[in-house]
Amino acid sequence: MADTAFRLRVTYGKTGRLRFLSHLEVARACERTIRRAGLEYAVTQGFNKRMKLAFGPALPVGTAGTAEVYDVWLKRFVAPDEVLDILRATTPAGLTPVRAHYVGEREASVAAAMTLADYEVVIGHPDRGPGRLAEALGDVVSSGALEIEHKGARKVYDLAVCLPEGARVREEDGRSVVSLTVRMGAQGSLRPDALVREALLRADMSEQPMSVTRTGLRPEEARA
Amino acid sequence: MSDLWARVEPLLAAVERPARYIDSEFGAVHRTDAAYRVALLYPDTYELGMANQAIAILYDRLNGLEGVAAERAYVPWKDMGDAMRAAGVPLFTLESVTAVSSCDLFGITMPYELTCTNICEALDLAGIAVRAEDRAEGDPIVIGGGPCAFNPEPVADFFDAILVGEGEDAIVEIVEAHRAAKAAGLDRAAVLTSLAAVPGVYVPALYEPADGTVAARPREGSGAPAEVVKRVVADLGSHRAPVCPVVPFMDVIHDRANVEVLRGCTRGCRFCQAGMIYRPVRERTSDDIVRDALEQLRCTGQEELSLTSLSTTDHSEISDVLRRLSAALRGRAVTVSLPSLRLDSFGVDMARLVSEGSRGGLTFAPEAGTQRLRDVINKNITEENLLGTVRVAFGEGWRRLKLYFMIGLPTETDDDVRGIGELVSRVLAIAREVTPPAERGGIRIAVSVSTFVPKAHTPFQWEGQLTLAEVQDRQRLLRETMPRKGVDLHWHDSEISFLEGTLARGGRGLSRVIERVWRAGGGFDAWTEVFALSRWTGAFEAEGIDPVGLASAARAVDAPLPWDHISSGVSKAYLAVERSRALKGVVTPDCSFGDCTACGVCPSLGVDVVLAGESRG
Ligand code: SF4
Repeated sequence: MADTAFRLRVTYGKTGRLRFLSHLEVARACERTIRRAGLEYAVTQGFNKRMKLAFGPALPVGTAGTAEVYDVWLKRFVAPDEVLDILRATTPAGLTPVRAHYVGEREASVAAAMTLADYEVVIGHPDRGPGRLAEALGDVVSSGALEIEHKGARKVYDLAVCLPEGARVREEDGRSVVSLTVRMGAQGSLRPDALVREALLRADMSEQPMSVTRTGLRPEEARA
Repeated sequence: MSDLWARVEPLLAAVERPARYIDSEFGAVHRTDAAYRVALLYPDTYELGMANQAIAILYDRLNGLEGVAAERAYVPWKDMGDAMRAAGVPLFTLESVTAVSSCDLFGITMPYELTCTNICEALDLAGIAVRAEDRAEGDPIVIGGGPCAFNPEPVADFFDAILVGEGEDAIVEIVEAHRAAKAAGLDRAAVLTSLAAVPGVYVPALYEPADGTVAARPREGSGAPAEVVKRVVADLGSHRAPVCPVVPFMDVIHDRANVEVLRGCTRGCRFCQAGMIYRPVRERTSDDIVRDALEQLRCTGQEELSLTSLSTTDHSEISDVLRRLSAALRGRAVTVSLPSLRLDSFGVDMARLVSEGSRGGLTFAPEAGTQRLRDVINKNITEENLLGTVRVAFGEGWRRLKLYFMIGLPTETDDDVRGIGELVSRVLAIAREVTPPAERGGIRIAVSVSTFVPKAHTPFQWEGQLTLAEVQDRQRLLRETMPRKGVDLHWHDSEISFLEGTLARGGRGLSRVIERVWRAGGGFDAWTEVFALSRWTGAFEAEGIDPVGLASAARAVDAPLPWDHISSGVSKAYLAVERSRALKGVVTPDCSFGDCTACGVCPSLGVDVVLAGESRG
């Protein structure tokens, strides 16, 4: 099967209302999109036959993405642009595919290869200005570690490892936009909103509604 | 009509499973230009409601009408309900995110008795008065339907109208009548009178409810019919199954393509309400089934197809259907499932046809542990049928079996309860005998035991239900006599079954009890972890109604029943005859396999049994 299948890498968005979907819900929706598209997909061998499909790292419920990735194995070669057109017609708005290209069978899986994730966190009207937020973020990053409590369990993140490129703040339409890159590894990935929340706390700024978007997934070597 | 999304969105970050509230699924229909709007509500969460095929059919049907938009609504889980109340956000429809109260028609399906408190919750969250008599001119017409419409009295005060029976044609007539009444500028009372003229529509306000000595009857001069007769679609071929139903994102129950292969079941199990109220049997042709199944799979992208009905393997051409489907679906990783199997080797043949070599679980429903009791309930299967089927199935590699039983059936004795454990022991022995020794450890028999609840419009509608103490005794006996190794025993919450019994055969007075329970914080009563019987006992007491008498006292066959003014087409005389045959242990054959047994449905509703093939068997 594997030698006759064509491994297509599809980049898609998880935007708008659909950012409220869980990883599993997104995966199921993408699989159904491919089925609706009438593409001839390869099927896993074994007891429970499934479409052969592999997803990149999970996005939490509520976090949007503009460049999420999955690989699907097709039984027939179809030009990537043609696949994109067919998929777009069968995809619910909010999960729209934006790019497709074939990758070699021996290339590492998306989840293993893409260890860096770029994020943007948008915060409405920080009450003490973007400058103060940038300073506070800098303080957190230089402190070297971040302790987070999640569902009763405490976890300490080594920021030198998790946050290889620090965090930057810019202003856009009266809101602050924090951009940062998270390195995903064995200890899991740091949630950008947790980092920003910690900075707000240290800067004595009040909690603000935040929207988080993953804007890119990339392999480590490709770092500029 | 204004879009509430900007007010809904901020609530979603803090609630469980926000995917319940975001719409945007493939197949959702957005008809913003429609002048007439219908909200269709399933009175429980999204993940339960999305499985409801009646709503899917009505959604499809209504959205196919000129100038009509049908949109979905569900009861928000408690976290979201609280957040909505705190933020002043009313119950909204998913598609346009507009207030349900701004719709013209608010349809609520009633799938089972325990959703009754959620009906109050939905109305209140929508900002619509819970009791129909308190509603204002501008409020939507609130109309109910579904299985509980056959004894509508316990919820009758909450509805302006209730449709009894099948909705495909009736819903169109209801919308037309309502549109015409609105165009003529009629007031609410006159609109209701015009709806009562649509066959199958019950308008509770136009009736004097039954009071124990006389049956319910139309109020003087109301013009409402003395008996509301159920609607029935004579030929299922006149409607297609929805081609492109909504494809959920969330992991909902029964998340799959569903194609109905037949409606009705005349096997005649005497406890079974569905078997009485959906008569007669009407099969769809195999061409229609295969066509609709393949089109629905193509359009939805679902990875599982279920051929639904009360008894799918009874379809006269089921093997032809399954062969054609498995040929068409080969290599596409689509599974085909059958809801439950006929208890004979034919059932196993059918399971094999859809299994593609994998051996999941098989499900059968012997219902009672002894032949005597199976004859009483007219479950026409023998122990040989069951054991023979088990021999074939385990011999062919199946290792998991699920068996459904009931306790508390009329005439049941301790021997019948012990009989369940004994039967399961014999099943296990045969399963072990035909399974290679190395694989015997993998044998699993799931035994699910529910408590019998007498239902309206069945031959057992006059019977009493076990009291809670009796149920506990029999459950203990069941536990003691059930083999342990290889068996997983589950039973239904006896308190929920008890309450179900009070609601299933209660009268108008129960509306007050239900409302009281809801006001005291009730809701999601079908959820075991939420249900609290104490809330109910307090409310019964406050309303002066004895729930134990309601559920457990046997009723005289000639006494008026609260649902006498609702007709399923099956005559009360037939039910009484079936009851006396039951008590004598005499079985009645299935009319779709042989001769008419004179239940009355066909002549009184002008319909007939419709088989796709020559005969069943
Ligand atoms: S009237 Fe006769 S044929 Fe029709 S459903 Fe009843 S028993 Fe069957």
